[in-house]
Amino acid sequence: MTDTCFRMKGTTLTSIVLEVIDFDPDTFESQLAEKINSAPQFFTRSSLILHLVKLLSATEFELLVALCRRFKLQPMAVRGEVGALRSVINDLGLADVSQSKFTESSLKTTKPESTALKEQAANEPAASSPVPTPAAATKPVKVISRPVRSGQQVYAEGGDLVITAAVSEGAEVLADGNIHVYGTLRGRALAGVKGNVHARVFCQSLDAELISIAGQFIMHETVKASCWKQPAQIYLEEDTLHIEPIA
Amino acid sequence: MAKIIVVTSGKGGVGKTTSSAAISTGLALAGHKTVVIDFDVGLRNLDLIMGCERRVVYDFVNVINKEATLKQALIKDKRTDNLFILPASQTRDKDALTIDGVQAVLNELKEDFDFIICDSPAGIEQGAQMALYFADEAIVVTNPEVSSVRDSDRILGILQSKSLRAEQGKPVKEHLLLTRYNPLRVESAEMLSVADVEEILAIPLLGVIPESEAVLKASNQGQPVILDLEANAGQAYSDAVRRLLGETIEHRFLEAEKKGFFKRLLGGK
Repeated sequence: MTDTCFRMKGTTLTSIVLEVIDFDPDTFESQLAEKINSAPQFFTRSSLILHLVKLLSATEFELLVALCRRFKLQPMAVRGEVGALRSVINDLGLADVSQSKFTESSLKTTKPESTALKEQAANEPAASSPVPTPAAATKPVKVISRPVRSGQQVYAEGGDLVITAAVSEGAEVLADGNIHVYGTLRGRALAGVKGNVHARVFCQSLDAELISIAGQFIMHETVKASCWKQPAQIYLEEDTLHIEPIA
Repeated sequence: MAKIIVVTSGKGGVGKTTSSAAISTGLALAGHKTVVIDFDVGLRNLDLIMGCERRVVYDFVNVINKEATLKQALIKDKRTDNLFILPASQTRDKDALTIDGVQAVLNELKEDFDFIICDSPAGIEQGAQMALYFADEAIVVTNPEVSSVRDSDRILGILQSKSLRAEQGKPVKEHLLLTRYNPLRVESAEMLSVADVEEILAIPLLGVIPESEAVLKASNQGQPVILDLEANAGQAYSDAVRRLLGETIEHRFLEAEKKGFFKRLLGGK
């Protein structure tokens, strides 16, 4: 019997997407330089997905990749208007992912967007806004209309989870986005499980064993202290979970 | 077309077998040809409650393994017409039950019977899953205390995900049967109330069976408690059977009985 040398596994990673809207080499270079100088630490050796909004010629594409590499960005895949570029993409050692189903990951940034380089960022909610609009809000919503029983687990990947019944003690509901429970929440609710700090948990009656947002969690004892069995929302602010009544 | 009803709970000792015996007897008394199957292979009990333990020759596992025919294994109830018992094997364990084997037996029974009552073993493993897999309806037996309610919740989740109907996208019809209910202990907050349990489990209430010495007496005598017309528990089971058959009847025995002066004086119960 020989030991296995490797294992194949699936993974997801957050990456920067560079949307190429227009390509004039000189303008592109100067705008890219400006962008990168604004946060050199952030961009150095960042893996990059090139999203071609504009169809480029083979020469233009080679130049684009060379430019990116000169700025220490590491293009790894291409999507969008790939057209006849497939062989060039292959020659440059990149992956053509134009066929893949993409989930736009939300990337937090405080930098303004330039025309040539646009990060797909979660919109920072206005301080007064009662409900944030994270990128996940536009994703398909998973609706569950039966009670989630003890021992059951429901996960809404890539979006919000809406449950129009109760979540029992010993049940676990998870979502990449927000979680709404239009019934009593007695089990565990974990929102923003992939790190969306803007995700929230809303429920008709709060009686939860555990509430977590982007990995920060509170247990039953803490939950019990406010809005006990009342309609409530839970959100993350400055690394602390806040419980607030909703009318 | 025969209806398959599983009597289940997750937790042990809540009254599944007592309820299976009472309900199958009630259905038979109402004129429906009924068979009750003991799925608790290795811990055979139903035969005792039904008072036919001396008449068991062949069992469910023998029929599955084709060592006996259904006709040989079915025991006709002595007291009630239209009622048959298919006992479990005492010498085997739950692995003796297979999906194909159980299905073959149920299909054969479906041709002759109106109701097939499956008395599930406790737990959520193989035995319990076999008992509920082919069910059209489920009677979830629950005691008014937190651990029983949680286990019932768990078994309801399994009914929704691991039954044949769930796989076909048709939900199993669920009924809540609350047993060992003691209104006095509810008043003193030692027990959950009907409303508490209904709120947590959120399924229709089939019946509330009051805690009663008549149940223990009936079990020891091998006579389903539903035949005890004097006992509250027996009457409550009769009501539950009528509701199962579609009637709308008000729930009884939910309030503590006020003892009269003479009753108190004489220490009557």
